[in-house]
Amino acid sequence: MPASMKEIKLRIKSVQGTRQLTKAMELVASSKLRRASDRVEHSRPYFETLYQTLCDMAAADPTLQSPYLARQSGGSTCYIVIAGDRGLAGGYNANVFRAFAGDNPDGQICVLPIGRRAVEHFERQGIPIVSRAFAVAGELSVSDCFEISRMLCGLVAGGQIGAIRLVYTRFVSMLAQKAQVLPVLPFIPPAGKSAHPMLLYEPDSETVFNAVIPEYLAGIVYGALCESVSSELAARRTAMDSASRNASDMIDRLSLNYNRARQAAITRELTEIVAGADAGGV
Amino acid sequence: MKTYPLTVVTPDGCRYDGPAVRLVCRTIGGDVAILAGHCDFCTALGMGEAHVVTPEGDIRSAACIGGLLTVLGGRVRLIATTWEWAEDIDTDRAKRSLQQAEARLKEPGLDAQTLQLASAQLRRALVRQSVAAARR
Repeated sequence: MPASMKEIKLRIKSVQGTRQLTKAMELVASSKLRRASDRVEHSRPYFETLYQTLCDMAAADPTLQSPYLARQSGGSTCYIVIAGDRGLAGGYNANVFRAFAGDNPDGQICVLPIGRRAVEHFERQGIPIVSRAFAVAGELSVSDCFEISRMLCGLVAGGQIGAIRLVYTRFVSMLAQKAQVLPVLPFIPPAGKSAHPMLLYEPDSETVFNAVIPEYLAGIVYGALCESVSSELAARRTAMDSASRNASDMIDRLSLNYNRARQAAITRELTEIVAGADAGGV
Repeated sequence: MKTYPLTVVTPDGCRYDGPAVRLVCRTIGGDVAILAGHCDFCTALGMGEAHVVTPEGDIRSAACIGGLLTVLGGRVRLIATTWEWAEDIDTDRAKRSLQQAEARLKEPGLDAQTLQLASAQLRRALVRQSVAAARR
């Protein structure tokens, strides 16, 4: 026996409500996404130039001595994990945590979670957390990234942290986002770089390198944050789009069932009338 | 005057991309001026006023805070943490920031980190104010 007409009607109403919600979330995500992807576009030249220059510097002077160039013995590996503040974004958060779990460094680890989901996840897992101050990924600005960098560089210089790795989601396109792990420190320039041996450093290469590394770390965190925020919005938009589509399909199916039930009720009523008339012997 | 290609980039986007006659900015070791034909050079930036002389002869000043300056093969790149043209500086915000920093510095029993942050905030605000004031 199919569900009663009233029940189906109620289901349709509730699915319509859900569709309205997912549609609204999709629209909010797409309007925010435009701004976020602009931010990614704007910030890219800065990091590319910065990275290029640091590579040149490290390649030009093989004798360069810096706590940021060699792994500190005894220090733990610090992961900066950037996830979202909320769910409902498909596999966005789960992919970030999977990328983190798939990376196996030697020795002890600690994490600096960014985003409420990341903080909750690592609290549950019982992994040592460096700071909980950056729980809201959506509200972090350039100056927050500089604060993160200052704090971490202090720990690296103090020997508590030996290496820094960054787990974030790269914004490949509106439809594709990839969670990945990026080694940040110690700074390893790619092999075979064309060096500029005649570069003049003021006051000297070591001072410049050590002054620039915190900027580089802040820059890379900010860049990864921009990419991650865009990826989260894109993932949410896709997830909400398919949820809205599923809701529409469900409403179609339920409407069909509703009409069938209505038709069946009419037919039954007619049969009853006809049967009643027959019995009356008219 | 001879010119050279200059690019000023910040995390918020590109601030200047085009030919320039002269660039003056404050580095960690003091002020430097870059003219065309400079040798390959690299230094870290401090906090202070910077200005660019355009081929048309205009002098555009800006507040430049932190970053890196490189000259490679005649191409000058200034990678700044903050680069605000004098006309874009929000003087009210700088004033508020200055007051805030002063108030924080007056608090008793400051720890080293707060002291460092507040003094950096104070210096940034002072740089912005002086750049904006010089324009008027």
